Amino acid sequence: MSFQSRHPLEGKAGSAVRAVDHLEIPRSVAIATVLSRLSDAAMVVAGFAAAGDLTMRNVAPGEWLVLSHVERAVNLERRLAALLADIAEVVDQSEGRVLLRLSGPNARRILAKGVAVDLDPSVFTVGQSANLRCGHIAVNFARSGENEFELIVFRSFAESLFEDLLAMGREFDLSYGFSGGLADQG
Amino acid sequence: MTAYRLPEGGLVDRTTSLDFRFDGTRFKGHPGDTLASALLANDQLLLARSFKYHRPRGLVTAGVSEPNALVSIGSGARTDANTRATVAELYAGLEARSQNNWPSLKYDIGALNNLLSPFLSAGFYYKTFMWPAAFWEKLYEPLIRRAAGLGRAVLERDPESYEKCWTHCDLLIVGSGPAGLSAALTAGRAGLRVVLAEQDFRMGGALLSDSTAIDGNSASVFAEASLAELATLPNVTLMPRTTVFGWYDDNVFGAVERVQKHVAQPIAKLPVERLWRIAAKRALLATGAEERPLVFGGNDRPGVMTASAIGTYANRFGVAAGKSVAIFTNGNAGYRTAADLLRHGVGIAAIIDTRSDAPAVDDLKDVRIIKGAGIVDTMGGQRLGKLVFERSGYEEVIACDAIGMSGGFNPVIHLACQRGARPVWSSELDTFLAPDVGGGLSIAGAAAGYYTLSACLADGAEKAATIAADLGFAVTADEAPAVGEEVDPSFTTLWYVPGAKSKAFVDFQNDVHARDLGLALREGFGHIEHAKRYTTNGMATDQGKLSGVNAAGILAGMRGVSPAEVGITTFRPFYTPVSFGALAGTARDMHAAPKRVSPLHGWAERNGAVFVEAGLWHRSSWFPREGERTWRQTTDREVLNVRENVGLCDVSTLGKIEVFGTDAAEFLNRLYCNAMAKLPIGKARYGLMLREDGIVYDDGTVSRFGENHFFVTTTTGLAAGVLSHMEYCAQVLWPDLDVRFTSVTDQWAQMSIAGPKARAVVQAMIEDDISNVAFPYLSVGVVTLKGGLKARLFRISFSGELAYELAVPAGYGESVADAVIEAGRAHGICAYGLEALNVLRLEKGYVTHAEFDGRVTPDDAGFGRMVSAQKPDFIGKRLSTRYGLTAADRMQMVGLKPAEKDKTIRAGAHLLKDGAKPSTINDQGYVSSACFSPVLGHDIALAFLKSGRERYGERIVVWDRLKNEETMAEVCEPVFVDPLSAKLKV
Repeated sequence: MSFQSRHPLEGKAGSAVRAVDHLEIPRSVAIATVLSRLSDAAMVVAGFAAAGDLTMRNVAPGEWLVLSHVERAVNLERRLAALLADIAEVVDQSEGRVLLRLSGPNARRILAKGVAVDLDPSVFTVGQSANLRCGHIAVNFARSGENEFELIVFRSFAESLFEDLLAMGREFDLSYGFSGGLADQG
Repeated sequence: MTAYRLPEGGLVDRTTSLDFRFDGTRFKGHPGDTLASALLANDQLLLARSFKYHRPRGLVTAGVSEPNALVSIGSGARTDANTRATVAELYAGLEARSQNNWPSLKYDIGALNNLLSPFLSAGFYYKTFMWPAAFWEKLYEPLIRRAAGLGRAVLERDPESYEKCWTHCDLLIVGSGPAGLSAALTAGRAGLRVVLAEQDFRMGGALLSDSTAIDGNSASVFAEASLAELATLPNVTLMPRTTVFGWYDDNVFGAVERVQKHVAQPIAKLPVERLWRIAAKRALLATGAEERPLVFGGNDRPGVMTASAIGTYANRFGVAAGKSVAIFTNGNAGYRTAADLLRHGVGIAAIIDTRSDAPAVDDLKDVRIIKGAGIVDTMGGQRLGKLVFERSGYEEVIACDAIGMSGGFNPVIHLACQRGARPVWSSELDTFLAPDVGGGLSIAGAAAGYYTLSACLADGAEKAATIAADLGFAVTADEAPAVGEEVDPSFTTLWYVPGAKSKAFVDFQNDVHARDLGLALREGFGHIEHAKRYTTNGMATDQGKLSGVNAAGILAGMRGVSPAEVGITTFRPFYTPVSFGALAGTARDMHAAPKRVSPLHGWAERNGAVFVEAGLWHRSSWFPREGERTWRQTTDREVLNVRENVGLCDVSTLGKIEVFGTDAAEFLNRLYCNAMAKLPIGKARYGLMLREDGIVYDDGTVSRFGENHFFVTTTTGLAAGVLSHMEYCAQVLWPDLDVRFTSVTDQWAQMSIAGPKARAVVQAMIEDDISNVAFPYLSVGVVTLKGGLKARLFRISFSGELAYELAVPAGYGESVADAVIEAGRAHGICAYGLEALNVLRLEKGYVTHAEFDGRVTPDDAGFGRMVSAQKPDFIGKRLSTRYGLTAADRMQMVGLKPAEKDKTIRAGAHLLKDGAKPSTINDQGYVSSACFSPVLGHDIALAFLKSGRERYGERIVVWDRLKNEETMAEVCEPVFVDPLSAKLKV
């Protein structure tokens, strides 16, 4: 038997023209939750740093989301489990979380319609992340660049967040579209 | 004809004309006009009818505190009722209508109320319409509401869009007058992130209407130059058309920006209003001061305004309020208005000064100045024609077409007093000032009692410099601008002008006059808060901006005490009215609440599911097939098919939590009331979670995947609640336990495959052996689907049938569900929904939150023996033993069957003893869940009945008060199908 994974926003056609402000839906991102004792947190963070190519997002003390744009879910889970053996638990969330990337000169103004944190780059710096709400919906929110932000949302809320973001971006003619190839079989 | 557009001057663009309509009549104004200034320029003095007496009313102010000039702007669904003409920016095509009159503004039948006014004193409604009580709702109130009122809200759907936005700053400055602008310059130059909010469409505040020179130029030139500099500073945000309406916790301010209220056709992609939440490290109120109206006889006739309003119309808008203007003042400020008007070529009828020792003024030599006098009446029809002044018994009538009244100043301190701090009386300034509310919020300029231009400029700069230094910014002292000749702003105390020959109004909008306050005092409502409610003083849409301090002063005078003793009524948000649209923002229609969808949503849609909203979730409810006309037909077919063959149901919405740690077993043992510590690896167990008070909180399953790895499920509704509860337990109650957990609800698509043929279907899907020997009831494990996809399999059942729950990574859910249906085709599989799931569980007597409704103990629901007596402690253990929770007559869960098979039992119905009078006094219990059982061919129900388990076999009345039906039913054990659960374990 052969099974296909379906992205929850599959079927959204995408904008005809890419505007300066753009909402990107990366098709396949491996995401894992990493949990550790508070006393082991520093070791875990050091472990991420040693790995080099992993993106780490703060969720809570002793809890992170780890992202990979190149690895498959199962490989990421395996690699993290090996990397963090005995100091952390790894839970695959690749299918349970959806990544949305908003970029452009007006990204801050768009997000300020839903996000209560101060988005000034001196306050919420590049690489910083936090769990917060965008409008009604809980997200893991990160600044991935001066004018680029990533929102990781529960899969069941992905469509609502997507529609909310489009409404927030309407003023700036926000465009959107998928990026990356089709997900492989797990 | 009296009011007119001056030949020159003002900050309006005279090269462009804007057409607009008021009550159908065409008028012309200019860009830069408010609706009020444009109407005044067209000599339209009569703008409204008052609330109670329907008296003709005109403009009193030129700003936000306007009590009279409320109009409806726009047409159809785009109508804004109760808009103050004084702040409505004029645009081409604006359509405004007067309110509260019939048949017209000029001939208003309601004005008869004025003749009845001796009977309509304060408290009239309270006294007259007290009884009979039923008449109030049906007769009196509708009548009163129709007679007295404001604009009418339209019932059409609002076609506009709105949104909310956050912004953050070091310093929020509210108000862009001299103090605000000067503060913004100081703070902006020092590098603070500054937000300068101004409610007006043109920034500059009082500078736009002040005739005093700054640096040799007009004040408005100074404002323009300052704003131009601020616009170049990237750290400064200028927000015109933005009213800061509230001050909230953590120094967050609420503000509403009118983005497109000044255009005939809004641009669709922009909101018409934007609600801002401004998180400010510091805030500076530079909100200025209101000029106090004087309370004298006939002070509400159209043409009577505050002197500063007349000055503003002349200086800012180039409009003369009349050709012969009288000034009535108790201080020097009125003289400045007179001088301004003379300079514009407007005649001054007289200056009436209540002070007999008023200082001489050189440049008004030709003006008649009447000292030591007071106006006692005015005359004219729907506009002012004459005034009557009185001095020591001498009366004289003077012709005039406008009166500028100047009664001193009230600082605008509302924001500072919205969070509990009370205004403090200043006998020096004869008004209320803001109290010290801490470092987060400071007050500058006129709002702090500095009434001269130079003092405002200096105070704004100084307060901003203090704040900047406080936040660690270096400030360079700037040279203060040179201010021209100023007027001493002092005034004498005068709350009420004695000798009034007609009504002397305090609150114009609610028609409260001085005698009403006296009546309130005589009848025991002399406390300021009582007087407010008894007379309605300050209860109108202007919230007493002009009347509040005067009412306090008059009451103080009547009581013979200082206003400090009387105090002033509480200031609350909003400072000025905010539209519901702005408060709702985008949260309407699809954006009102998020829609949560299961990973199998698309699969269910393709299989024809009808969905039901369960919280935020949209769950598949039933899957109708051709020929089925009702949900019951479909549900019956689905239930029977599961009992006979096999069905597939989406259970992805249940909460799923991974639990790790060396103390995970201990943690769960304390969390649930039943034993969990010794749950073997590879097994699942039902778990019952209590609240501290011994009542059931939630239930679900606990599975063990490893020594230190558990997986728990929750009900759909309490998934988030249980996770927070666990966080609380781990962080607060037992921080010593080594346990960690995370929600994986969204990671898994989970399907229940239930029915006698479930094994055949599931086995066809997976590599692993799931025979009853290899994978008995309550087994759990990781399995491999044919083709290699890893999945989790749980042998648990909520239907009483042989059942498996198969969990696959969410994205694969649809694909796997399709394959299950395909594999089950030969076995007669069907998709079934929430309705069938509910019937299946009721037939087995399984409980949901319909039973666990927050009142039920484990024993009530028949789980008494499950509660562990061995465990040293668990949540709910201690309080489970308290008296009320162990009483013998508690309502216990039972089953119900109708005595006659064709009768219906509905959830929510109550239970009565046979023969008892239908009344809640005789209540024996209630039906928690009910359905038609297609297996048994009649209704079945779960119910809670007093001492129910002792009453099996008893006939009882099911009383449905809503449908007025009584049905006889037999009490039975709460299980209707397969009571020995033989089908589960095969």
